[in-house]
Amino acid sequence: MAALSHAPAVTRRAQTRLGLLLTAPVMIMVVLFFLFPMISALYYSVVDFDGIDPTPEFVGLANFKEMFTDPEVWHALRNNAIWIVIGTAAPLIVGLLMALLIWSVRSGSVLYRLAFFLPYILPGIAIGIVWGWIYDPVSGWMNRVLAGIGLDGLQRGWLGEPNTALYAVLATAIWATCGFVIVIFLSALQNVDSDLVDASRIDGANSARRLWFVILPQIMPVFLMVLTLTLVGGFSVFDIIFIMTGGGPADATNVIGTYAYTQAFQLSRIGYGTTLALLITVLAVPFAIALNRLQRRLSLQGTGA
Amino acid sequence: MLDQPIPTTLAKQTGRGRTRARSADVVRHSGRRQLSLALRHAVLIVLALLTLFPVILVVSTALKTSDDVTLNPFGLFSSFSFDNLVSAWTVGRFSSYLVNSLLLTVPSTLLVIAISTMAGYTFARLPFRGRTVMFYLVVLGLLVPFFTYMIPLYFQLRSMGLLDTLLGAILVLTSTGISFGTFFMRAFFSDLPTELEQAARVDGCSEAQIFARVMLPLVRSGMGALAVFTFLANWNNFLVPLLYLPGGDYRPLTTGLYMFTGGRSLDIGPLAAGTLITIVPIVILFVVLQRQVTEGFISGAVKG
Repeated sequence: MAALSHAPAVTRRAQTRLGLLLTAPVMIMVVLFFLFPMISALYYSVVDFDGIDPTPEFVGLANFKEMFTDPEVWHALRNNAIWIVIGTAAPLIVGLLMALLIWSVRSGSVLYRLAFFLPYILPGIAIGIVWGWIYDPVSGWMNRVLAGIGLDGLQRGWLGEPNTALYAVLATAIWATCGFVIVIFLSALQNVDSDLVDASRIDGANSARRLWFVILPQIMPVFLMVLTLTLVGGFSVFDIIFIMTGGGPADATNVIGTYAYTQAFQLSRIGYGTTLALLITVLAVPFAIALNRLQRRLSLQGTGA
Repeated sequence: MLDQPIPTTLAKQTGRGRTRARSADVVRHSGRRQLSLALRHAVLIVLALLTLFPVILVVSTALKTSDDVTLNPFGLFSSFSFDNLVSAWTVGRFSSYLVNSLLLTVPSTLLVIAISTMAGYTFARLPFRGRTVMFYLVVLGLLVPFFTYMIPLYFQLRSMGLLDTLLGAILVLTSTGISFGTFFMRAFFSDLPTELEQAARVDGCSEAQIFARVMLPLVRSGMGALAVFTFLANWNNFLVPLLYLPGGDYRPLTTGLYMFTGGRSLDIGPLAAGTLITIVPIVILFVVLQRQVTEGFISGAVKG
């Protein structure tokens, strides 16, 4: 960096020219397909736009006012919160345990990585379809297995009942995310100082204490990074719920994402739908920034990553 | 690797006289260790099969006869025929969905690579006034979910005449990938030593030549990882074709499958076949390039 700023003026001019040329495409794309629609989103949130009328009526903060008093928003937010808490905690815990297990056996880790990571690269629509079959009330494997182990009483139409649908979809999402968490943790574990682990073992630390005091602190930055990714993903969840239940039955699985979609594209309430979508950003971005800061600070302390 | 050092270092420390007693201890120890290792492998294999079960179910259902699908839709490998695949391919239009998926994914992936590499190089190595502001704008695209602006984008595309066109969908897919791509490629260019470009400059290379001839070949692995990552993301993308290709002329596999679900449970066979057609290309890509894929995801996540 220092060397660059001491470059002669001729070089600096040439660099500026090339830099502007090379960044032109990205800036055009970002302005056209991100900045413009972002600004429009702010505009749409203060008008009552039905998608047709070219001069929609200005309604001020009416959309926001409606949002805060709309009971379905609070219900959807509650579902988002459940999704975020369970959908973040479960893959982190399961992923960490699985990664430790794979790490401890050493051999065959490529094959295990392949098997566990595969769900993560599958398209949401394929995942939704096949898990819909697994949850099938009549011939699905979920109910078959329950019957097989004598738990017939627990059999139900997993996606069709309001009190199980959200958790059924959530379980599917956890299945799809775990592989990602496993692979990330495995790569972090590869950098763990094994001398420290050995030393603590000789000192008589049991495996739980080794994990808590020796291994976890070393992979903390990666832990926080995975936390950020799953957390922010939890706010904007849409695909898997839209595909598996469409927000139903009877709005039971509605999250802000599916509710915004329904308002905008099915009820043609563009202004209100956009306002709801803005809510996701307002909620998600501060979390992302805060966790990113924390992660960076930990990285700077030289704890890996 | 980790399991070995302790016994050996201990054996060394204990000195010659007690080596024999020690090694007997080690043998007894390693017997127990072997057992626990086998147990752990067994647990992992069971878990791996459970994880892969949904994929196995797709393959099994896709390869059934239609009678068997009606009677026993989810029984594993209870019959065999290619009927479902044939009907999905022809009647179900999955052949044209596949072509559309390629038409959307390949150009958008190439565009993401090109745009991100150029921008990533600039943000890493070509300082100029205003660069930081530009970079923040690009990074903002990483923070804000697509959700936030997807609705206005629909109307913007409509007024630009790009709604329901291949070009429009390709451009949107590209725009969803370039923020991450730029960030990703910037990290690769930042890692290169400054001596390289100084030497090239002394040798009389122009700035453009330094980029194209000296630096570009050194980030090929990064471009490869980004290519695989972007290809997968765009192939799997559901929202973009759902929203911006509503007409169905350019419907790719993801929304094609979605339209196919429409509640007709009798079509489970062809639906399974369509699902198989959708995931086979990416599963092959993943198995062949698994190292690049996982490393791309890891470095992407760590660098992001």
